[in-house]
Amino acid sequence: MENQMKRGLLDVCVLAAIRDEDSYGYRIVKDLSPYVEISESTLYPILRRLESGQMLTVRTAEHNGRLRKYYHITDSGIERLKQFESEWKELMQIYEFVTRGGEK
Amino acid sequence: MNKTEFTEQLRAALKGLSEEDLKKSVDYYEEMIDDRMEDGIPEEEAVNGLGSIDEIKNKILKEIPIVNIVKEKIKPKRGLAGWEIALLVIGSPVWVPIVLSLIITGLSIYMTFWIIILSLYVTDLSLFLSGILGIVAAFMQTNGFATGLFLSGIGITLTGVSVLLFFGFNQITKWMFILSKKFVLWLKKLFVGEKKSAN
Repeated sequence: MENQMKRGLLDVCVLAAIRDEDSYGYRIVKDLSPYVEISESTLYPILRRLESGQMLTVRTAEHNGRLRKYYHITDSGIERLKQFESEWKELMQIYEFVTRGGEK
Repeated sequence: MNKTEFTEQLRAALKGLSEEDLKKSVDYYEEMIDDRMEDGIPEEEAVNGLGSIDEIKNKILKEIPIVNIVKEKIKPKRGLAGWEIALLVIGSPVWVPIVLSLIITGLSIYMTFWIIILSLYVTDLSLFLSGILGIVAAFMQTNGFATGLFLSGIGITLTGVSVLLFFGFNQITKWMFILSKKFVLWLKKLFVGEKKSAN
């Protein structure tokens, strides 16, 4: 897949993984890996990018005597997901057109 | 490699980043290792599965703006003493021009990059236009059929070449972007990490 496209898709995937409930790094990777190729090291820059873009916030909580960071989606994050959905509908139409070979 | 060794190496590789960036990165990877181990993966495997320190470093550096990295590098590690400030002021005729020339060099490298791309497309456009002009001239001239044929032939050739070049130039532009990204990463690496000793 083209790099730029994959980058954008991964951002959306991570947001989707924390949409319903806050999650932490390792779980995000586990939740996403059946659908998309992602590793802990790939996730890290994405989380930072989303945080600086105010798509998510980070809080630290204790877990088993150590600290763990939990990621919480913001309103702009939810907005980004909605935007993706509408973009995707458009893309699907193009996809259909392309796979039909442009016939009427 | 166990967790402690990994953390040490990562910290060394990222030396030069701001304290905040460094801590965030190391914390994140520690948390990943802990979570992996909690999930039943043995320590060695949990660490090695994260990838090499060098790969991790590249991924981290790509997301941190170069300005932040340079700023961190030139920021004094402690408050300056009065005599140091005095010395800086007295020495300013020496260091201000040096810093300025460094900044200007950086800017000119950046501009060169864009101007090369721009000049490629301007060349292409001029080829295309002269091609079109040749075709037009072939019909406007009054020197006879042979000249007309000659002019239109050249015109069509030029137009064709310009179209082909356009695709070539697009590819070159793409490469230039990749190259410039690599260049920036290389620059960042000059500032971050302990110099590797021979081992």
